[in-house]
Amino acid sequence: MSSDFETYEQDFGTITAEVTNKIGKIPKLSGEEKTQLVLNVDKQLEEVRELLEQMDLEVREIPIQSRAMYTTRLKSYKQEMEKLEKDFKRSRIAYSDEVRNELLGDDAISSEGQRAHLLDNTERLERSSRRLEAGYQIAVETEQVGQEILSNLHTDREKIQKARERLRETDANLGKSSRILTGMLRRIIQNRVLVFVLGAIILLTIILAIYLNLRSH
Amino acid sequence: MDNTGKEKEAMQLMAEADKKVKASGSFLGGMFGGNHKVEDACEIYARAANMFKMAKNWSAAGNAFCQAARLHMQLQNKLDSATSFVDAGNAYKKADPQEAINCLNQAIDIYTDMGRFTIAAKHHITIAEIYESELVDIDKAIAHYEQAADYYKGEESNSSANKCLLKVGYYSAQLEQYQKAIEIYEQVAMSTMDNPLLKYNAKEYFFKASLCHFIVDELNAKLAIEKYEEMFPAFSDSRELKLLKKLLEAHEEQNSEAFTEAVKEFDSVSRLDQWLTTMLLRIKKTIQGDAGDLK
Repeated sequence: MSSDFETYEQDFGTITAEVTNKIGKIPKLSGEEKTQLVLNVDKQLEEVRELLEQMDLEVREIPIQSRAMYTTRLKSYKQEMEKLEKDFKRSRIAYSDEVRNELLGDDAISSEGQRAHLLDNTERLERSSRRLEAGYQIAVETEQVGQEILSNLHTDREKIQKARERLRETDANLGKSSRILTGMLRRIIQNRVLVFVLGAIILLTIILAIYLNLRSH
Repeated sequence: MDNTGKEKEAMQLMAEADKKVKASGSFLGGMFGGNHKVEDACEIYARAANMFKMAKNWSAAGNAFCQAARLHMQLQNKLDSATSFVDAGNAYKKADPQEAINCLNQAIDIYTDMGRFTIAAKHHITIAEIYESELVDIDKAIAHYEQAADYYKGEESNSSANKCLLKVGYYSAQLEQYQKAIEIYEQVAMSTMDNPLLKYNAKEYFFKASLCHFIVDELNAKLAIEKYEEMFPAFSDSRELKLLKKLLEAHEEQNSEAFTEAVKEFDSVSRLDQWLTTMLLRIKKTIQGDAGDLK
């Protein structure tokens, strides 16, 4: 009994392997070959289904105690079969590289073209990286120039501040000197007035003296 | 043609001025407006000197200016005297550097006497430059730069002071006075750190200080770099710091090729200047020296 089951299992294994293989090939083919292969796979799926039914009957004849193991195995086989059927259905409508090439024309991208394309890309990358490096260098140089300019500006700033201070001092000094000069001017005028007054007094005294002298004669 | 004509005229003026000075020396001249004559002589000397300058006869021009300066001193015109000495210095710069330095020194004395330290500092810098370029006496140049920096500090012109200090550091490191250089660079770096205008310079100064530390002793360098990183976080992003770390590693492993590679990489991005190349070369020699010892 169980040996039958095992033979069925082996058959199942071989047939499923073949079916998977063929399902893999189907998308690549077309036309007559494809229809033939499809019929082939169909037939094999039928065989698999029959095998499963037989396995089912076998399992039922086994006494209940040892049935559990076989039932699980059977279930997994059934699942595998369902999966194969799904794959089969999908493969019949699958896309493939061949179909794409037919649409876009033969040898759209041959191997030589791909190589040239890759070299081109590498060169473009190298050029970009060189330009980036140059840009970085210029940025660094600019930063250094900026540093120098900033420090020069700082020095100039201090000089201008000093100059402003001195200017204010000079302004104050000029104010002071202008006041002193006005003071001097005032004093000069005073002196002159004094001199005139004294001169006038002396003159008067002399005239008085002469007058008195003449009078007394 | 024009030049020789001018020279002859200048010689004539000099002779005239000499006569005036002698004339004022005699008793009678001194009585009747001797000062007047001396002032005239000053002016004539100045004109003569200008003519010599036109004729490109620098030493004669310098000489004339010096005479004028001495006469001004006699008349107690300190300011005029100082300016004449400076003119003399400028004229001599092109012919006889030593004389120029003498004249400038005299001018500096007058200015410091009057309390005009900023101008004195400026002239110290001029003298230091002459020592740098014409007479190549680095020690004296350093001394003058230091004086200038001190005067500038006294007048609160910190930027100018920093400029002078940097030159001092530059030359001290070249002369292998590393301790001094380290102090100077650290000082400058710390004072520029906070100023928003100048902080972009600070990282360069830290870098130079670290290099000097490196030459002295590697461990010092490590400690110093950590200290700087703490104080100034922007330092840690810089390429210079990355270079320093690589150099430290190379030094530990005594691997001079790794050293050269790191330096070349840095150089490809931004050229290394004269000073940096010298310092790095010295560090490299210490590596190779150590490696030689090990062998």
